[in-house]
Amino acid sequence: MGNILSASFAPECDEKKATYDACFNSWYTEKFLAGKSITNECEELWHEYKECIDIALVKRGMVKMMEEAREEASFENSGIPQNHDEAKK
Amino acid sequence: MVLWFNSGHSYDYDFATVTLAYMNRYPNPYATHVQSVDTIDCRIDATTGDLMLTKLIVKTGRLPKFITYFVGDVTKSWVMEKIRINRDTQTMTTYTRNLDHKKIIIIEEFTHYSTNADGFTDVQSSVKFSSGINKFGIKNKLESWGHSKMQENLRGSREGLKFVMLKVNERRQAWLEQMA
Repeated sequence: MGNILSASFAPECDEKKATYDACFNSWYTEKFLAGKSITNECEELWHEYKECIDIALVKRGMVKMMEEAREEASFENSGIPQNHDEAKK
Repeated sequence: MVLWFNSGHSYDYDFATVTLAYMNRYPNPYATHVQSVDTIDCRIDATTGDLMLTKLIVKTGRLPKFITYFVGDVTKSWVMEKIRINRDTQTMTTYTRNLDHKKIIIIEEFTHYSTNADGFTDVQSSVKFSSGINKFGIKNKLESWGHSKMQENLRGSREGLKFVMLKVNERRQAWLEQMA
């Protein structure tokens, strides 16, 4: 199963990511889609993993780029095209 | 300068399989340029009940020569992806965009997955290329590169997703057996 999961950009977070991903995949299919759970049961594992990622982003000087992205309208909107009629051209 | 490319496709798999495979689509043999995927945000929208994910993806550079002329030798690119899944309507929308090299080119991909009348999954995708480069001839180059890149990407991402869907079904079977 291990080799089916993708790596983290930060190798030091790989283990935490693998644990979280496995939990998420089970929860998503067996609970979320089945309508058996409306809370993310893997949240605690995600926070542990996220803590590792946040430190790694700081170490790699990525914080500014991430913050800029978060503030941009396209991401705020989850990418719903602003002027999608352009697409029909 | 902006270019759009649209395409549609149908997978002979149900929504659960396609979406689970989508979220686990890397690594696969058709996407060796993808180095890593991290989940940097994961929450459930309190109003809609939608599952909202934000992913950070690192890809190795595959920009064409005429672009690397402007940005230098780009070895990797950071991509952010937003995923929204509604389990009641069985729909998933995704949005991806590069975070760096934005002055040269911004590649945005919008996809919408939904369940069709046969119980399988349809996908509509649009890719938008925007470039701030206004030098003579760049538009044509970018346009033809965009076309071939799209063909290559579509083929790669469909084959990749199909490959992962087979694996994901094996895994789902194993989970179900474990729970029985």
